[in-house]
Amino acid sequence: MNYEPQTALGRAVDAIEETAIALMLGLMTLITFANVVARYVFNSNILWQLEATVFLFAWLVLFGVSYSVKITAHLGVDVIINMLAPPARRYLGLLSVAVCLAFSLLMLKGGWDYWWQFADKASFLEVNDIPMPGFLNFLADITNDGEPYEKIPRYIPYFILPVGMALLTFRFLQAGWRIFNGQTDRVIASHEAEDAVEEVAAKREGALEASNTKNAQKEGR
Amino acid sequence: MEAFLLFLAIIVLLLIGVPIAVALGVSSILFLLILSDSSLASIAQTMFSAFDGHYTLLAIPFFILASSFMSTGGVAARIIRFSIACVGHFRGGLAIAGVFACMLFAALSGSSPATVVAIGTIVIAAMQKVGYTKEFAAGVICNAGTLGILIPPSIVMVVYAAAVDVSVGRMFLAGVIPGLMAGFMLMLGIYAWARYKNMAPQPFAGFGEIVASGLDALWGLLLIVIILGGIYGGVFTPTEAAAVAAVYAFLIANFVYRDMGPLKTKTLDDSERRAAAAALARDEEAENLGRPLFAEYIEASGKRLLVGLVQTVIHFLPSLVHPDTRKTLADAGKLTITLLFIIANALILKHVLTDEQIPQAIASAMLEAGFGPVMFLVIVNLILLIGGQFMEPSGLIVIVAPLVFPIAIDLGIDPIHLGIIMVVNMEIGMITPPVGLNLFVTSGVAGMPMMSVVKAALPFLAILFVFLIIVTYVPWISTVIPNSVMGPEIVTR
Repeated sequence: MNYEPQTALGRAVDAIEETAIALMLGLMTLITFANVVARYVFNSNILWQLEATVFLFAWLVLFGVSYSVKITAHLGVDVIINMLAPPARRYLGLLSVAVCLAFSLLMLKGGWDYWWQFADKASFLEVNDIPMPGFLNFLADITNDGEPYEKIPRYIPYFILPVGMALLTFRFLQAGWRIFNGQTDRVIASHEAEDAVEEVAAKREGALEASNTKNAQKEGR
Repeated sequence: MEAFLLFLAIIVLLLIGVPIAVALGVSSILFLLILSDSSLASIAQTMFSAFDGHYTLLAIPFFILASSFMSTGGVAARIIRFSIACVGHFRGGLAIAGVFACMLFAALSGSSPATVVAIGTIVIAAMQKVGYTKEFAAGVICNAGTLGILIPPSIVMVVYAAAVDVSVGRMFLAGVIPGLMAGFMLMLGIYAWARYKNMAPQPFAGFGEIVASGLDALWGLLLIVIILGGIYGGVFTPTEAAAVAAVYAFLIANFVYRDMGPLKTKTLDDSERRAAAAALARDEEAENLGRPLFAEYIEASGKRLLVGLVQTVIHFLPSLVHPDTRKTLADAGKLTITLLFIIANALILKHVLTDEQIPQAIASAMLEAGFGPVMFLVIVNLILLIGGQFMEPSGLIVIVAPLVFPIAIDLGIDPIHLGIIMVVNMEIGMITPPVGLNLFVTSGVAGMPMMSVVKAALPFLAILFVFLIIVTYVPWISTVIPNSVMGPEIVTR
């Protein structure tokens, strides 16, 4: 799960993706917390809290799945592929990517179809609670015959379905290309805890060095 | 027959290295397209409804976040110091304290590997220093760490609750007695072993040390009160409790313990010293470092409180955008994404199972064949034990739970009891090869090969196995607290 972007563009994209993920999770937490505070301290209620949190949650995950493919964070079972020789691994890797692409393309089609219903014929449908922010009012002219929306139209939250699945398809294509070129041999991470272990190993090395210098100091004294 | 093909497809895809989420999703989509008249758009809707239709799942990102803030290091060291002060003077004391620390940390975090990393890094080294073998130390922590998913709060329990629509609060309450029992059984095993080996007990550090270390660890331990008290006091929903816990953990990590954020560098030496003191509490060096006495603690804390409050106000806004905060949020976000993507696809699978009435068919076949609840639970245990050796707990739960849950209800098994059985099975799955997550983490933390950890974990694995049998056939252990606090479970279908 160690991903190091190589180019300036790669670093910029990586920073944007990571910040977006951090921001969405942070906002979800703050909004939910704020609603608890509002209830007990101000004796009121943020009406749109739950709906906004839920949509941020969907955006976080559906946006993040493509990022997780990029950093090879998706979990899988690697028992069999670890037993195989590298050429066989490569073929299985390509086969897995083909399955993944089938999935992401089907979901892209489904996501687009679902979103298009709300963007085209049912573009007047609004969500339940989230009020329409002023800067989005121009949408009323495009999709609602100039009649202003009170709440945000439904096609806004659902838009992440086609976008997320398109990004996912793109990242699977990239992963397939990497396997084809022999840069990697799989689309899955072996363990969610790999990072944590690496961090611990790094820390232990640091601690060893520290204790070595300490001992050296003691001996010097 | 179709159901058999569906599961065969999932298993084959998993084995060739397709991500769990995709294996579940693509098999279910093909099944729906071929055998029913579902459209792709309706499948996309099912996927979106994983987020906007299952409020329970919202608790998962918040619990992950709270646990990430709490795992920054300082909390674990303080909990270990407190544990050693409490139980360190028994025979085999440091090992027992390790189990106790794992239990306490499990009550702060919802994940087993996180518990092993946080506690194991410090305790395994400390145990070696006072003469335990590395194998013994690794075996103890590897097993005790699995309590992370049994002692509430637990991410695996939230996943189960969301997958089969039972109350998260009930599941958390149900985990209390089994969690304490498993911890106690492990401690008893260690004590018996220490008596047999005639290990010398350590001197008792005195009540002053218990109070001082307890006060030091208090800020972390209060999180348990917030989560459990908040849920059962009716103050928050489990999701809100998780969000409040995340904000609280953020404040503690940044402004009280200062393991991260804008104030970190200023007290780095101090926290390092404390971490060292906790790790070496039984080492002679600890004597030289000295321990704050209770009276001094109170006097000093008045001053510290005032300075701390001022610093908190000044640094509050910077802390929100500090790189440490961003990194913790992004890491917790990544974990959330991979986990929730699996769950969202498992919900598509659940949709297939419900549509095709597959569990009901299996249930009636089992009843016709004369299998009762006992035989059924044996089968569930076997499926989970085998599956748990190959898969992450949350992934396995979301696949198996929707399948076995309706069968269990037909056979009259309590849904909460079934959930606890599943969680205990997952614990055992985490310490059995080849994909024993805790084995893997422990081998990394202790710096020893996987196979030696497997061997080291075996004697304690036997204890957990006995525990599994007890939990499976004595439902009372799991159901008594939730039923007495929240009233008897009403099964609606």
